[in-house]
Amino acid sequence: MSARIYSQKWKDTSLLLPILLFLGIFFLIPLISLLVQSVTEPTLGLVNFTELLATSTYVQVLANTFLVATLVTLFAVLLGFPLAWCITLFPSGWGRFLLNVVLLSMWTSLLARTYSWLVLLQSSGVLNKMLMAIGIIDQPLELVHNLTGVIIGMTYIMIPFVVLPLQASMSAIDPMVLQAASVCGASARTVFFRVFLPLCKPGIFSGALMVFVMSLGYYVTPALLGGVSNMMLPEFIVQQVQNFLNWGIASAAASILIAVTLVMFYIYLKVQTESPTSSHTGG
Amino acid sequence: MLLTQQSLGWRIKSALYLITGSIAAFLAMPIFFIVALSFGSSQWLVFPPPHWTTKWYERFFDNPQWIDAALTSLQVATVTSIVATLIALPASFALVRGKFRGRDYLYSLFTLPMIVPVVIIAVATYSMFLSLGLTGTLVAFIISHVIVAVPFAMISIINSLKLFDKSIENAAVICGASRLQAIFKVTFPSIKPGIFAGALFAFLVSWDEVVISVMMASPELQTLPVKMWSTLRQDLTPVIAVASTLLIFLSLFIMLAANILRKRSQ
Repeated sequence: MSARIYSQKWKDTSLLLPILLFLGIFFLIPLISLLVQSVTEPTLGLVNFTELLATSTYVQVLANTFLVATLVTLFAVLLGFPLAWCITLFPSGWGRFLLNVVLLSMWTSLLARTYSWLVLLQSSGVLNKMLMAIGIIDQPLELVHNLTGVIIGMTYIMIPFVVLPLQASMSAIDPMVLQAASVCGASARTVFFRVFLPLCKPGIFSGALMVFVMSLGYYVTPALLGGVSNMMLPEFIVQQVQNFLNWGIASAAASILIAVTLVMFYIYLKVQTESPTSSHTGG
Repeated sequence: MLLTQQSLGWRIKSALYLITGSIAAFLAMPIFFIVALSFGSSQWLVFPPPHWTTKWYERFFDNPQWIDAALTSLQVATVTSIVATLIALPASFALVRGKFRGRDYLYSLFTLPMIVPVVIIAVATYSMFLSLGLTGTLVAFIISHVIVAVPFAMISIINSLKLFDKSIENAAVICGASRLQAIFKVTFPSIKPGIFAGALFAFLVSWDEVVISVMMASPELQTLPVKMWSTLRQDLTPVIAVASTLLIFLSLFIMLAANILRKRSQ
């Protein structure tokens, strides 16, 4: 009997062999050797990190990355919140329509959507034409190849990643709790800020964290909609590798990006398992 | 209150409609415009276009570079989807049914390619293929795409396997089938929608992949997103709108198919 259990055990783990070999050889080894390069290339030591943190243009890139990620997270949460609320509030009809729009946008090719923003935001683009026709502006605004373009494009892409977790945590809230608060004499305002919002907090937090992490590592949208002065970490890494063959600096930057990403993700998982609403919905 | 429609005043309600309507318009606008502009006659993508035309579609289909790129994309995505599914399938069985320690850690490890920024995977694999002299080959494209596609295939298969009642498989074994026969004749057919949905997700990940592909591509071998990317950096020609429209409709079609399959498996 014990031999059979043993063999069953062995079989189960042998099924993992293909994925372990594949991801081990083609994913983990290259990833680890990239990280190692940050302290060995060109010489052993922390030269790359000190250079990265001592050169003002490099520090600018780091600061810019965190600035963009913070702003995008803020806007995505602000715009995502009413969407999630409406989807929860009107599960059929309007809410369902909104949910479908969110999903449609999420499923559509990233490059296609970014190209579309490039066209819409250019100085002769639809947005500028519209604003000029209404008479809000006389001169076309510079909406692309700068921070504005990056923020608009990235916020647009990140909204679905706020709406979905937030909606899940809202639908787990018992409406009776809010009812109770208002029966006890709380005004709508008080119920919103003192009861509803605190109950949404886990959802907001996990959505925001997700968006922040994803924004840090985004390449396509910032590279196309941003300008030279708005370079973010991912574009910087690619540039160092492809244009300057500077693997040392590139891998140091990559190490920082990975470290921040993994720490944030760890916090995300902690919050998810501890939040009361996630246990209600079963995850 | 606040979570039931009846208790909200009409003022809050109409404000909500207005706000969410505008955000929905913001989300749908780029998709609508790109499809419309691919039929517009203006080289400069003026909207509304002076005339409607299909000349950019002719331009796209007459250009062997675009066609080659589209075919390469199709080829890479198909092989990626098959390889990713074949790797993910046994792994999913092991993770759902195995009774060894550290399963959760392995699951996290296998989903790591979803979490690590794509740009880092791109640079790391680029470095490896560079030293192997394999950049600009189909093999490099497929291997690097499988890395990011595997978690998507795995999650879909795991979900359907968790929903499958194992006692049905056990019943087949009791009736005289071997475990392997039972798995192939009973389990596989009932989790088939989940497996196919996983394969479709893997296809889509590869089909839409930009960052890794840009690093792996050579002037001779590029996928559709790479061709779009390199064209975009020169000008905004409406031919890219055509390529985008094709990408949008294919992704949409695949996502609908995957969702129908997923619903069926539940």
